[in-house]
Amino acid sequence: MPEGVAGASGQRATRAQTWRRRGADVAAVLVPTVLFALARTVDSNLLLLVTIMVYVVLAQGVNVIYGFTGYLPFGYVGFFGAGAYGTYIAVAHLGAGAVEATVLGGVCAVLVAIVLIPLLRLRGAYFAIASLAAALALSSLVSNPSLQSVTNGPYGADLSQVFSSGGSYWTAVVIVAFAMLVVVVLRRSRLGLQLRAVRADQVSASYAGVNVVAARTGAWLLSALLAGLAGGVYAWAISTFYPTAVFDTTISLFAIVFALFGGVGTVLGPVVGAVVLYYVYNAIGVNDPQYFQLIFGVVIVVIALFLPGGLAAVLLGARRRLATRGADAG
Amino acid sequence: MKVHRRLLGLAGVCAATGGVVAIAATQAQAGHTRASAASAPKQIVVGTLYASSGAYAADSIPQYDGVKFWVNQMNKQGGVYVAAYKKKIHVKLVAYNDQSSPTTAATLYSQLITQNHVNIMIPDFGSVLTAPAVSIAQDHHQLLFDATASGTVFFTPNNPYIVGAGIRNSAFWPDPLVQFLVAKHIKKIAILYDANDFDAAQAATLDHGLIAHGVKPVYYQSTATTTTTYGTLIDSIAATNPQAVIELGYNTNDIPFLNTLPSAGHKFNMVFTVFPGQLPQLFQQQVGTKNLGYTYTYATPPLVPYPKVNLGLNTAQFSRAFKAAFPSQAVDYPAMAGYGTALIAQEALNKATSFSQLAMRRAVGNASGKLTTAIGQFKITKDGEEEGEFLPVGQVFPSHGGTAIKVVYPTNLATTKAKYPAPKG
Repeated sequence: MPEGVAGASGQRATRAQTWRRRGADVAAVLVPTVLFALARTVDSNLLLLVTIMVYVVLAQGVNVIYGFTGYLPFGYVGFFGAGAYGTYIAVAHLGAGAVEATVLGGVCAVLVAIVLIPLLRLRGAYFAIASLAAALALSSLVSNPSLQSVTNGPYGADLSQVFSSGGSYWTAVVIVAFAMLVVVVLRRSRLGLQLRAVRADQVSASYAGVNVVAARTGAWLLSALLAGLAGGVYAWAISTFYPTAVFDTTISLFAIVFALFGGVGTVLGPVVGAVVLYYVYNAIGVNDPQYFQLIFGVVIVVIALFLPGGLAAVLLGARRRLATRGADAG
Repeated sequence: MKVHRRLLGLAGVCAATGGVVAIAATQAQAGHTRASAASAPKQIVVGTLYASSGAYAADSIPQYDGVKFWVNQMNKQGGVYVAAYKKKIHVKLVAYNDQSSPTTAATLYSQLITQNHVNIMIPDFGSVLTAPAVSIAQDHHQLLFDATASGTVFFTPNNPYIVGAGIRNSAFWPDPLVQFLVAKHIKKIAILYDANDFDAAQAATLDHGLIAHGVKPVYYQSTATTTTTYGTLIDSIAATNPQAVIELGYNTNDIPFLNTLPSAGHKFNMVFTVFPGQLPQLFQQQVGTKNLGYTYTYATPPLVPYPKVNLGLNTAQFSRAFKAAFPSQAVDYPAMAGYGTALIAQEALNKATSFSQLAMRRAVGNASGKLTTAIGQFKITKDGEEEGEFLPVGQVFPSHGGTAIKVVYPTNLATTKAKYPAPKG
């Protein structure tokens, strides 16, 4: 075969691959967003849909911090609660509109994350426990009666003046799109590569010129932003809440399990995990919590033992095997 | 081998998930009912939530039983009378388990309204689990018959879709307690309260009330609602040498507090906690006569009986009938609050001339101050907040191997004299 022809063919293949990859990325952002936008025509329970979207965003946030850096944040709900209360403060004290307040909720969570950056010096179980302690401390701080003039202390937050079920729903759709975009861009970006290198071997990555501290801090702040936005839109959607409702550690646990079930380090895994498991929870966990807890426990054990990469790893593996068989048959 | 294990794992997860979805779909189908708007509905759908587990289970389950009791009573009588249709209609109860989670409760309230299309909605126990219902109900123009939430943020002039049908705002609860402390000339008072709406409102009233009588508490401190370890806090309180210690918490706080007192080695002349009066059997079981004896609490129905009522059963009749219907369930205040709240919903259906939520709200407003049920007078403010309930001070006395709570203040309601200071040992 003449050299020139082979070169052109190879270039075409590379270009095709690039376009396919870009198409997959665009689809990864658009498909969940469009499906959630259309979901209200199928399910009239808007708050259920908002809650699922909130968990999708939280699972993506866990994906960013755990999937890309290996830091498992059991106190992730701290950012969620900070976002909810940031939104409340923005509405009640700054007179912000609901959408602006939701964005400010995200900013508030980032500010909390900046304060908690020293936690990144810890690893493994120590980090998980320290982040949980930080979330509990934040909850106590927010509900302290001495802060009544700022957070309304233990008396709860009231956002009923800006309540809008439709407005919070569409804002949640936009936040889902943003979360998907963040993960897609992160996965393809230089920062994403650096984070994966750090996760695989911190020392080698450092020798290769990766600024380990900056990369981890970036992922930490991004994941806090996502949780803060989720907390903000959730606060808007329910509008009347107490500190115990938005600093409930079950929220962290659900987000982590949803992300693990779907597959961390992937784009769509956490989305599938959150949607499937939350619907299951809402359908069966409500009236038969004992069965749900049993099934939930079994699912977690099965994932930990047999599917550490979650559903996404299995599906990708199956696709690869099919492709290999197809090539062999050809 | 590795591939097979992964596939086996995937099959296991898929089978479990598929099974769950199938069961859930069947349940959802079975629970789905719609009322016809054109004519009288075949049934009045009452929607509520309960918590079978978690922090609020001990109060939520009896409240739910109280509502169930009312539904059974109505159906035995051929249904509830609905004035808008001038006929009795069968009552159907739709209830979901929120497991004490506000997040779960929020989606379930939405489900009750948008999918079960309930006619009457009674939220779960307490402010934390009622809060997610408030804006959703307002948005869907669904009237909430609030049983046990006392949140100050719920009742506003621009929200006609909530009415306090059971419990009074907790900020008013300590008024008789303040009078009692003043009457007993108790000057050194320690107040420990949980940082939540329900307890902080009581603490603030107590603090302001005492200061108005020239008594400044020697200890006034909040703690997290999740607190269950009280040794250090009790030591700090003891260091101020108080005559009376007031601990304001939920039952999950009161029980460990009372159980820690003897082991902490301090003895106080007076100890007050909130929930022994509401859940006496639970406290007898969990705290015991020795630790509970001579402590003080709010006396609530059925400890405070209302023999003359003009709606439903009186307190004694309810206690007997409830015991017969739920032999394993104690007759306590949350059960009575559930029943009392359902009675107010009954009044709304009995009197509303059209079958709309606002017509029911108007009917309830018209009944304010005119009704007495097994839990006392029903009286609401123009914003819908309950203001008729009155909680006297009760003291726990050892009795026949167990305990009995008797009203000790105010004197016109007292059934015995307070034993102050509490006997040592």
